[in-house]
Amino acid sequence: MKGQRWLVALTAVTATLIAASGFFGDRKGRQGVDVVAFGELPAQEGGRVKPIDTLARNALLMIRSKQTVRADGRTLSASEWLLDAMFRPQLADTYAIFVVDDPDVLGLMGMPQSAERYYSFDKLRDHTGKLQSQASAARRVDPKQRTRFQAAVVHLFDRLYLYYRIKHTLQIEGGAGLSDELARAHTQAGQERAQAIAELAYFRVLPPTAKGGWRNIGEGLAALHAGTPQPGLELYAAMQKAYVAGDGANFDAAVAKMLALGRAADPTALGIAAHELQFNRAQPFYNGMVLYVAALLVLFASWAWRPQTLRPVAYVLLAAGLLLHTGGLVSRTILQGRPPVTNLYSSAVFVGWGAAVLGAVLERLYRNGFGAVVAAASGFVSLIVAHHLAADGDTMEMMRAVLDSNFWLATHVITITIGYSGTFVAGAIAAGWAIRRHALRSLDPEAGKALASMTYGIQCFALLFSFAGTVLGGIWADQSWGRFWGWDPKENGALLIVLWIAIVLHARWGGYIRERGLMAMSIAGMAITAFSWFGVNMLGVGLHSYGFTDKAFSALAAFMGLCLLLLGLSLAPPRFRLVRTLAAGLPVQHGAATPHG
Amino acid sequence: MNDQANKHWGTALLDALTSLKLAIVLLTLLMVLVLACTLAQVDLGTHGAVERYMRSWLVWWRPDGASWSIPVLPGGAPVGGLLILNLSVAQIRRLQLTWRKSGLWLLHIGLVLLVAGEFVSAMLQVDARLTFEEGHSANFVERTREYELAVVDTTDAAYDDEYGVPQSLLLAGGSIAIAKTPLQLKVVAYMRNSELRNRTDKDPKSLATAGVGPEIAVQQLPPVTADDAQDTPSALIDVHADGVSKGVFLVSAGISAQQGFSHAGRHYRIDLRLRREYLPYSLTLKDFSHDVYPGTDIPKNFSSLVRLVHPGSSEDRTVLISMNQPLRFEGRTFYQSSFGKNDTLSVLQVVQNPGWLMPYVSCTLVTLGLIVHFSFSLGRLQRRRVRAAAAAVGAT
Repeated sequence: MKGQRWLVALTAVTATLIAASGFFGDRKGRQGVDVVAFGELPAQEGGRVKPIDTLARNALLMIRSKQTVRADGRTLSASEWLLDAMFRPQLADTYAIFVVDDPDVLGLMGMPQSAERYYSFDKLRDHTGKLQSQASAARRVDPKQRTRFQAAVVHLFDRLYLYYRIKHTLQIEGGAGLSDELARAHTQAGQERAQAIAELAYFRVLPPTAKGGWRNIGEGLAALHAGTPQPGLELYAAMQKAYVAGDGANFDAAVAKMLALGRAADPTALGIAAHELQFNRAQPFYNGMVLYVAALLVLFASWAWRPQTLRPVAYVLLAAGLLLHTGGLVSRTILQGRPPVTNLYSSAVFVGWGAAVLGAVLERLYRNGFGAVVAAASGFVSLIVAHHLAADGDTMEMMRAVLDSNFWLATHVITITIGYSGTFVAGAIAAGWAIRRHALRSLDPEAGKALASMTYGIQCFALLFSFAGTVLGGIWADQSWGRFWGWDPKENGALLIVLWIAIVLHARWGGYIRERGLMAMSIAGMAITAFSWFGVNMLGVGLHSYGFTDKAFSALAAFMGLCLLLLGLSLAPPRFRLVRTLAAGLPVQHGAATPHG
Repeated sequence: MNDQANKHWGTALLDALTSLKLAIVLLTLLMVLVLACTLAQVDLGTHGAVERYMRSWLVWWRPDGASWSIPVLPGGAPVGGLLILNLSVAQIRRLQLTWRKSGLWLLHIGLVLLVAGEFVSAMLQVDARLTFEEGHSANFVERTREYELAVVDTTDAAYDDEYGVPQSLLLAGGSIAIAKTPLQLKVVAYMRNSELRNRTDKDPKSLATAGVGPEIAVQQLPPVTADDAQDTPSALIDVHADGVSKGVFLVSAGISAQQGFSHAGRHYRIDLRLRREYLPYSLTLKDFSHDVYPGTDIPKNFSSLVRLVHPGSSEDRTVLISMNQPLRFEGRTFYQSSFGKNDTLSVLQVVQNPGWLMPYVSCTLVTLGLIVHFSFSLGRLQRRRVRAAAAAVGAT
């Protein structure tokens, strides 16, 4: 007993360490500069002010699909990479950051297909002309109608152009840096260069002055020429000089001055940016994912070995994961000043959170380990899905006018995503039930009944939220477009979920299905929810040219396949021996194929 | 004997009609239809897919290249109708009026209302548009997909007398007398959709003899179904005044030039245009604004600042119509829909739907019903658990 208490305490400490892991480690990057402080510098891009760290992570995610890059035998963080891309572009040009795996695009550049999928800007530089003309030809085709090659060439060119813009945030390519641009600022040629930078620069680093809002370096140089002093320009020039020279102390001093300048100009935006940096460093969703996996593994182990000892350990890990997940959601809500679900990415985070909470509640009610497994698994899977959805860029992008309604985001969107959580939890329990009946030697009918009653309860919950969410969506549409229901794919998807749960519940009330039918239909419900959540968004894409090369589409197809497999498992008689029997060339015999509910 | 058999037969039908099995079959059919309607939108557009699957009696299937087609599924209309019938009759026949069943009553009544509301909308909802530029006023709305032939008496400079001939009359053809005028219009031809271009020497001679028609070649096209496409109807109208021919006019939604004629000292204009409805009040666009997020082209908001003047009720006030913030006034709702001309022109969607409140009521009823019903179920489950726990304690 005492040993167990120690084990739980030890787990709690480990979980805390994992949760806080983002704040350990060296702040110093290459050239002896404080990378974390640099990451806190504010920049305006995509309509909002964010820390450079966010910008660097999103840009690298878009370009490389990862938040880090391997260079010179070590791993660079996104901010370290951005430091080089901004201040030492010649060096950054040699980093292999562009994934090119389309054989036709490689063929266009006369490159053979190889195991090395990453290419540096230097390697692609000579082909930019060809890529650009192909990309602009492809761009004339509607995105949904593009061939795989057209889509791939547009994608590659977009990433190259993004990188090109990042390089031109501070200076003209091949120039002598920002201090040189500053020295020329008052000449005719300098003004032309400033104009070019103003057009290319990817983000705005100069805080607002009395005359005008956030400016990029080019706009700053023009304003300086027109007589408005821009103290930020000198500071960025100083940063570049110090960084190139490896003078960490002077770099850090310039960064501190720049931060003070920003705080004086726009304290609210800088406060939010500082909070966002902490959020980025804490990586709540990543660390939450780790904790969920750990909880899941311990739970699995607990089935085979010392359940009384291991289950509390799993609970601690699960609780820590859920706590981080919740903290991350709250943080995002505060940062955006909006309800937690604003796009596909945040819907994945939220659906997973809802499912994890539901699983935890079930565990509290039934204490059979099942709810905990569902909670940990759904938390983990949803965060993985969210992680992949984040590769499109900023996950806190601004809301288009038609969606800009916190009231409806908070009601319709939240309700309907909770409904999704419900159908996934029901499906997950059913999946567990299906696997269990083939894995266990003897089935305890009481446990089966308990699982069925959990599933049934969750389906009722899901119906309530799916229905309310769907109708609230109709009401929102009525408010903004004057029509309640338009049979639009997303609306139809929501309706499909509602209809399906209604069928499940009526079939059960009528006695047409029992335990097994309920489980099988709940598994199918997961597939229907996945279709209405992601599938309808791909309608144009999935059914046309982009087809199976689209990663999201293949992931969805794989999920559908998994559901089909689970459906088969749930319908097959317990401990199905088809394979073995077939191998022995004997007629199929079901050992326990007596009717069961 | 005969009576007995009839009764038996009637009960059997009623049983079948109110059975839970039928409800499940219908719900499944509805799912199939909704799924098919969703997938078909890729090719048919929303409007086309909805017409084919949801607003139809039967869904027809035509094999590739065949000239015949066979019905493969019942359409949305019979499935939805039967579902409502099944639901209402079963509810009345099978369920008792008890507190325990109150949730089911609430939610099923709500569902009937929801579908009834959709039915009311489908039959009675009128969609129109109001387009105005900054500084200009409008006192009429235009129907989105309906056209009319307008004859306008422009003699008096201070006001116009307008006479509208609806599309249905034009489609029927024949001769149309315009009341209170000496005018008689003969429809020579009416095309729901057409293409116009300048006539060349190679084209056959135009049937039009007056106005700009003789210079234009017109070709009939099939009506469009895509969501963002609009028909360009055209008509050839033989105009008579007091029995005297004024010529055959080509009128079309594709012709912007004004065409007209004079008779007995009065001047008339003739035009084929979107059907207009005049309002007893006027809206003036004071300002249209369209903001984007800094450094992007993501729209932040659109809004029209409008002055509303109603002489009848001596109302004169300013309203801001923006996304998610429509103006509801005298049975019509005005939504910010579109804009143009460098942000100086605003387009409002105008909807008249007497059933607009029904979804709100039914949503509340159903949600409430679900909560009540599941609360009862949860209570029952809890009691059972407590009993089971007590039994377990007793056993040990």
